[in-house]
Amino acid sequence: MPGKDVGRKSTKRKQIEEEERAQTEELPADGGLEMLSDEEDGDAASDDGHVDEFPEFVNESSSEESDYEEDEEEEEEEEEDSSEAGEDSDAGSDDSLHVFPKAKTIISDITQQPKIVYPEIEPDYDSDSSTEDTPNRVGDVPMHWYDDLPHIGYDINGRKVLRPARGDELDKFLATVDDSSAWTSAFDKKAQAEKPLTAEELDLIQRLYTNENPDAGYDPYEPTTEWFTGKGKEEIMPLSGALQPKRRWVPSKWEKQKVMKIVRAIRQGRIVPSKPKTAASKFEAYAIWSEPSSSNPPPLPAPKPALPTNAESYNPPEEYLPTEEERKEWEALDPEDRERNYLPQKYSSLRLVPAYDRFIKERFFRQLDLYLAPRVQRVKLNIDPDSLIPKLPSPNSLRPFPNYKSLQFQHEKGRARCLSVSPDGEWVVSGDEDGVVSLWEIIVGREVKRWKFGGKIGALAWCPRTDVSFFAVGIEDTIYFVIPPNIDPAVLSNTQTALAPATLPPTPATPSPVKWETPASSAWSIDTPLLTINLIPSSGLPTHFCWHRKGDYLASVSTGGLQSNVWIHQLTRRHSQSPFKKIKGAVQSVLFHPLKPHFFVATQQYVRIYNLAEQKLIKTLIPGIKWISSMDVHPSGDHLIVGGYDRKLCWFDLELSEKPYKVLRYHSRAIRSLQFHPAYPLFASSSDDGSIQIFHSRVYNDLMTDPLIVPLKILRGHHVVDGLGVLQVKWCSKQPWLVSSGADGSLAVWCS
Amino acid sequence: MTTIGSSMASQPVVFTTQTQYPLPTQKFMIPISWKRYQLSQLVNKALSMDKPVPFDFLVRGELLHTTLSEWCAENGVGEEETLEIEYIESVMPPQKVSDFPHEDWVSAVSCQIPGHFLTASYDGQIRVFDYSKNLISTTMAHTAPITSLSVISVDDSTFTVATSSQDLTAQITQITLGASPSSKMLTSLHLHTAPVSSVSSNLAGTNLLTSSWDGLIGFWDTSIPSSDEVPEPVLNERDRKKRRKIEASAKPMRKAPLLVLKSHSARVSKVRFARDETKAVSCGFDSTVRMWNTEYGVCEHTINAAEKPFLDFALVPDGTSALAVSTDRTMTMYDLRTSPTSLSVSIATFQHTATPSCVAACESNSHQVVTGAYDGVVRVWDVRSTKGAVASFKAWEGKKKVLSVDWRRGVVGVAGEGGLEVWRVGEEAS
Repeated sequence: MPGKDVGRKSTKRKQIEEEERAQTEELPADGGLEMLSDEEDGDAASDDGHVDEFPEFVNESSSEESDYEEDEEEEEEEEEDSSEAGEDSDAGSDDSLHVFPKAKTIISDITQQPKIVYPEIEPDYDSDSSTEDTPNRVGDVPMHWYDDLPHIGYDINGRKVLRPARGDELDKFLATVDDSSAWTSAFDKKAQAEKPLTAEELDLIQRLYTNENPDAGYDPYEPTTEWFTGKGKEEIMPLSGALQPKRRWVPSKWEKQKVMKIVRAIRQGRIVPSKPKTAASKFEAYAIWSEPSSSNPPPLPAPKPALPTNAESYNPPEEYLPTEEERKEWEALDPEDRERNYLPQKYSSLRLVPAYDRFIKERFFRQLDLYLAPRVQRVKLNIDPDSLIPKLPSPNSLRPFPNYKSLQFQHEKGRARCLSVSPDGEWVVSGDEDGVVSLWEIIVGREVKRWKFGGKIGALAWCPRTDVSFFAVGIEDTIYFVIPPNIDPAVLSNTQTALAPATLPPTPATPSPVKWETPASSAWSIDTPLLTINLIPSSGLPTHFCWHRKGDYLASVSTGGLQSNVWIHQLTRRHSQSPFKKIKGAVQSVLFHPLKPHFFVATQQYVRIYNLAEQKLIKTLIPGIKWISSMDVHPSGDHLIVGGYDRKLCWFDLELSEKPYKVLRYHSRAIRSLQFHPAYPLFASSSDDGSIQIFHSRVYNDLMTDPLIVPLKILRGHHVVDGLGVLQVKWCSKQPWLVSSGADGSLAVWCS
Repeated sequence: MTTIGSSMASQPVVFTTQTQYPLPTQKFMIPISWKRYQLSQLVNKALSMDKPVPFDFLVRGELLHTTLSEWCAENGVGEEETLEIEYIESVMPPQKVSDFPHEDWVSAVSCQIPGHFLTASYDGQIRVFDYSKNLISTTMAHTAPITSLSVISVDDSTFTVATSSQDLTAQITQITLGASPSSKMLTSLHLHTAPVSSVSSNLAGTNLLTSSWDGLIGFWDTSIPSSDEVPEPVLNERDRKKRRKIEASAKPMRKAPLLVLKSHSARVSKVRFARDETKAVSCGFDSTVRMWNTEYGVCEHTINAAEKPFLDFALVPDGTSALAVSTDRTMTMYDLRTSPTSLSVSIATFQHTATPSCVAACESNSHQVVTGAYDGVVRVWDVRSTKGAVASFKAWEGKKKVLSVDWRRGVVGVAGEGGLEVWRVGEEAS
């Protein structure tokens, strides 16, 4: 970039400019000279051996050089563009222009062999264009920093490099006119001056313009080097020159079959080749994170396998090693019963440890566990378990209650199905299925008197009156009234009057089908009943008796018969009547209310309460039991317990709803019998599981407090025979003693 | 004696006794590995007795069954503590003497008459046996089961016996032994309207007490009335006929009580004369033990127990306390001397495994009683040892109830479901 009006600038500047110009003028020549000198400099004798020995190395170095120069050329191109200098690049003679130093082949003086000699690279700064001594040493800083300064940087000695004089557009124009090479120059930012491009650079630019390989030395048409083929390099291949088999070029038969299958399917419409694209088949984009999180808990991570313990060591402590017995015991056990699936073994050193024989099995079971074992997160309830147990008083504080079997009375034959305790609590009568009724003392258990009847004894009930003493015995279709021995003469005569009055009451207007019979007084004896009520024939076995508290009415329930099975017998009128014209369902049990003229009737599923005075239904209780077996009313008359064959025991508060106040399900088999103690706050239930359960049942007088029911004691001692356990329980009226009769023919007295 | 080999651990011990063999009050160092046997030998040696007397040792109301060290470990007694050990004469293991099978249950037995056993049975008969197992006499006293029996007087071979029965009466019967044993019903006692549960006479045989299920206690003398003191009940035709049959035989006179003691609210199960014969003691199902003055017919003192229906009681020979058995499987000892104002408390309670039905005190040893239970086991108790029976024996094979026991002169008569058995218990051999 030699400026025309150099003289207008300061002398100093002129000098520099001139120097530079001299340099730039020299440069193309220099480049050419250098090339020449490279070619001509032939003093390669000193290091020809090196060159011969390491040709590849030299090649590499040359290629590096070329890379470097390429980079520089690009830079220069940019500079050209920015300086908007000459658009047209004059492609000089290609052959003369060589960026890379040319190697030449000479005949070595020593070996007389041809050798390639490369121009020597001088290890000074001028040897490479990239390291040529540029006067400006500011480094890689933006040059506009120096825009307002007289200098453009510093040279290697720290002296300011003055900005070269720059001519205006006219100077430029003049320069282009004067200097033919001006248009091939580019602006050098560092020097802040136009710099003529070298011939190689111009050649590069030209090649790039023509989309040629920028390397002038690159020959795209050089002959191929036959590396693997060609003469002397024929490969012996295991290929045969046999003819191709026919099947290679004959169309495949099975392909045709397959295709025909598809074609047939298409024809028959089994395959629709171009399905109409529906909305469903289209891929629908959706946001995978936008769906609501599922309620399922995330899958639980599998538990970590247990860490090995000391016993699994190859050299465990002695105490872990099994003794001979332990080893035998371990081997005798089934694998699934073993506490651990290995036996500790001792090896003196680690290299003696054999291969791990359980590896596969262990992995297998672990994988099975991971894959198949369902894992459930158990929610741990943070509740004190004691707080869930209702606060009940201790049974010890609720004494007395029966807690042991004091004595046992045995019937020889048959199940003891029923019993009754005398109202004074001294005597027990018990009846069995053999027709034997035994009278025995409650506290000694000695049979005092025995009666024999002609059939199963279904029910027994002692008359609750204290001025008379007799009991009713129910056998098939008949009810007998029997007087026990050894009673006071006054009581005896009262009883006889009650059962067999001298003057019979007038027969009622509507005669009852039930006949009352008394033998002639001459035939009276202690062994025969004084009064007989003949129920309607085939009315079945009376299974339940209930005396009214005044001892005048006796209600009887017969089962197994065809006729209506509930009768109320009135002793004073010697008259029996059926309180119901028609009853829905089979009556299981009846009860008189202890205070009011109410009558409880338990059918299979319901308990109905009738008012006998007003002749109407008061209430229907729904115990939710499938088959009611027994019931009893509390002495206060406000509470009722109902037991069922489906093991449930329901407590009803009659003041409250028709649903049970409490349902107790403590028996494991059907409940057979229930009774409230007449004086103590106790009730007992007996079951086919052979046990009797005693409950404390305190009923409060104020209507606010709920009854307190506390299970006290399970009495066991009866044997279960033919699936039948304890058939009836009765309380001793004056003591907290319980008498029970079992299917094993035994009766037990349970004392406190 | 006081210094025993120091190599063994020893326990300081002081011996006390109420027997006739007192040791000087002195502290003994006893090796703790000693048992009853060594202790007994020690006492025998210390007293240098000619004939060895076996002793049992009571430590804090408990019989020593184990070694001292075990006992100390169980009760947490240190080695430094001085133990007070009371020694009592051992009860020899009871030995069965003989058994008397009966056809029916035996409800009462009396060993009061030397050389004879009297039993009353549920078949209404009084049987007299002698010691060589011979049935000497059988008397049909009642048509109903007899509940108890008491010997009123013994005159050579003529016994006067009172029996109570479930036929609501008690009876005085004279049984004459000899070549042709005979019996005669002297009088029947009519008061009760329910079965009579017990009858008992005083030592002199002048008075009788009867108790019944109706809660009444009758006080009677034993004089034989010359005519019916109680009128015949109004009978209907049927009974009259029956009665006529009985009248054909010798009909005993009907006797009325001197006094009726009324206070019990339930069945009176037992009544006996106290040591002071103007007093009577009774117990009943109303859980009370009552003391009566038979001169005035008033209840002087009542011991109320909670929920203990008493079945029987026995008075210890010195008359100061009563041992009552109840259906809650306990025998309880009550002090009878307490004044009516003070709360009477039980002294000790003895637990049984079955219902104890009867109790009898030893005549000679005021600390020993026997109880019979429904499981057929007769237990001998020392009242100072509440933890367990001193000795026990089973009367019959199987589970047969014991209904009555009587302990006289070292012989225990056990009556019950299986008949009568006689066992020798106690040191006094007759």
